[in-house]
Amino acid sequence: KWKGEGTTRNLESIVIGRCYDYIRTVNPAVGEKNCSQIWEAFKNAFINKDPCRILPEDYELFINLTFHTIPPNKSLFWENNQLLVNSFADRGRRYMSLGDTLFGFIGDFLNWCGQADSPGLDYESCPTTMECENNAVESFWRMASITYAQHSSGVVHVLLNGSAHGGAYPQPGFFADYEIPNLQKDKISQIAIWVVDDIEGPDIDSCGTHTVKTLETRLETLGYDVTCTDNHK
Amino acid sequence: MPLQQGSARMRQRTVLLVGIVVLLAALVLAVVLASLLTHGRQEVSPKMLKWKDRGTTKNLQEVILGRCYNYITAQHPELGDKDCLKIWESLKDAFIYKNPCNITPEDYQPLMELASHPIPCNKSLFWSKTGDLVHRYTKSNQNFLTLEDTLLGYMADRISWCGDPSAPGINYESCPKRSECESNPGSVFWKMASKMFAEAACGVVQVMLNGSVEAGAFRSSSIFGSIEIFNLDPDKVSEVHIWLMQDIGGPQSESCSGHSIQRLISILEERNFKIICEDNYRPVQLLQCVHNPDHTDCRLCTNST
Repeated sequence: KWKGEGTTRNLESIVIGRCYDYIRTVNPAVGEKNCSQIWEAFKNAFINKDPCRILPEDYELFINLTFHTIPPNKSLFWENNQLLVNSFADRGRRYMSLGDTLFGFIGDFLNWCGQADSPGLDYESCPTTMECENNAVESFWRMASITYAQHSSGVVHVLLNGSAHGGAYPQPGFFADYEIPNLQKDKISQIAIWVVDDIEGPDIDSCGTHTVKTLETRLETLGYDVTCTDNHK
Repeated sequence: MPLQQGSARMRQRTVLLVGIVVLLAALVLAVVLASLLTHGRQEVSPKMLKWKDRGTTKNLQEVILGRCYNYITAQHPELGDKDCLKIWESLKDAFIYKNPCNITPEDYQPLMELASHPIPCNKSLFWSKTGDLVHRYTKSNQNFLTLEDTLLGYMADRISWCGDPSAPGINYESCPKRSECESNPGSVFWKMASKMFAEAACGVVQVMLNGSVEAGAFRSSSIFGSIEIFNLDPDKVSEVHIWLMQDIGGPQSESCSGHSIQRLISILEERNFKIICEDNYRPVQLLQCVHNPDHTDCRLCTNST
């Protein structure tokens, strides 16, 4: 039916398990959360609905229930370099990327979509973003990215892949379309861009060139104090 | 006639009233007796034992189930036939309602059987006193597996559990430290899981040790030194590669030529393993350099290469 993978099996156990795992072992500092309630809010965003009509706002209750503050100077945005980001962020101890927040942690690497008929979740296939933009997973990450950007403060870091085909700063992209527009200028002191090439990879983009230059100019025009470093050690 | 009916009705009413009063009295008596009995029972039943370490992780069941499903569904679909509910039940049965100082390997046998899975050759990565670093390494390089990257280790990492003979059978307040008793649920679990992890290893195995620890990089009292090296199978394992990592800018307490490493090498050679030891194995050192980029050891080009 659809071109994408179906809903991840045992989604409920995984979501509830990850929620408790996060508040008990990953980041107990966020305090008590009602993980069953959180699962309900997550599920109700898309269950039994047309899988092409899910909007970011549908996840508002989920975000409200999973919300916690992001420590200043710890936000780490990224494009095309998830493994590097994970080792750099050190599970939220050094930096807190979106995947290190409770709401990001819950959704990472999972797939889901609803359908009108019982059981309300489609385990066979889900629409890709090419097939329809307003799908459950895309809208989730849009909402999560918006929230993450809105609550970032202090010195904010952006890790870009200088070896990525098409450029280090992808447009369209989550950072370009959902994160930059939602940064709060009065809370951010500086935006530090790091362009990192793959080891033995091509040096397609760097500070001051091509897409990175586009990004630097955009941020400067918005009034941010911007720095850029190539292959930050 | 009306007078007779009137007195009969009055008698009926009296009987009814007396009946209600008797019922109420019986009810009150029952309530009083019940509260006395339970109060007495509370005074007589033992309270939970008190220990020095943190108690069972709250929501243990949800965490274990979630991790199990996460592992087999999202990370290792080849293990799709594992039954996470059964696995949780077998873990719970291993310790619930038991005295937490009396746990035996037999208690964990069903769990070990349900949750174990084969490890590809040349991928086993042992470690001692390098917990943070080794797991950052396996997270970014999926060519190696530590015990905590197997289903059993993944489920149990960073959580604790123990039981108690009194209801509800799980102690969320405290659990025994190793110093209080060795046969506690956590210690017995990790010893068994480590033994099985070593037994399952084949081909070339790796071990990451800490060359900045004062007490020595290799210690016979560690799980690696007391259990894992003795359960490697010489018919399956051909070589042991030692990666001796020193903290960037930290003390260089030991290197491959150090005493404890020489002792480790002799133990392994006696069991017919070929040994290679490397100081500051570069791929792992680069990971350390992420947090110390300006140190001389983290220069991109070195004269020695």
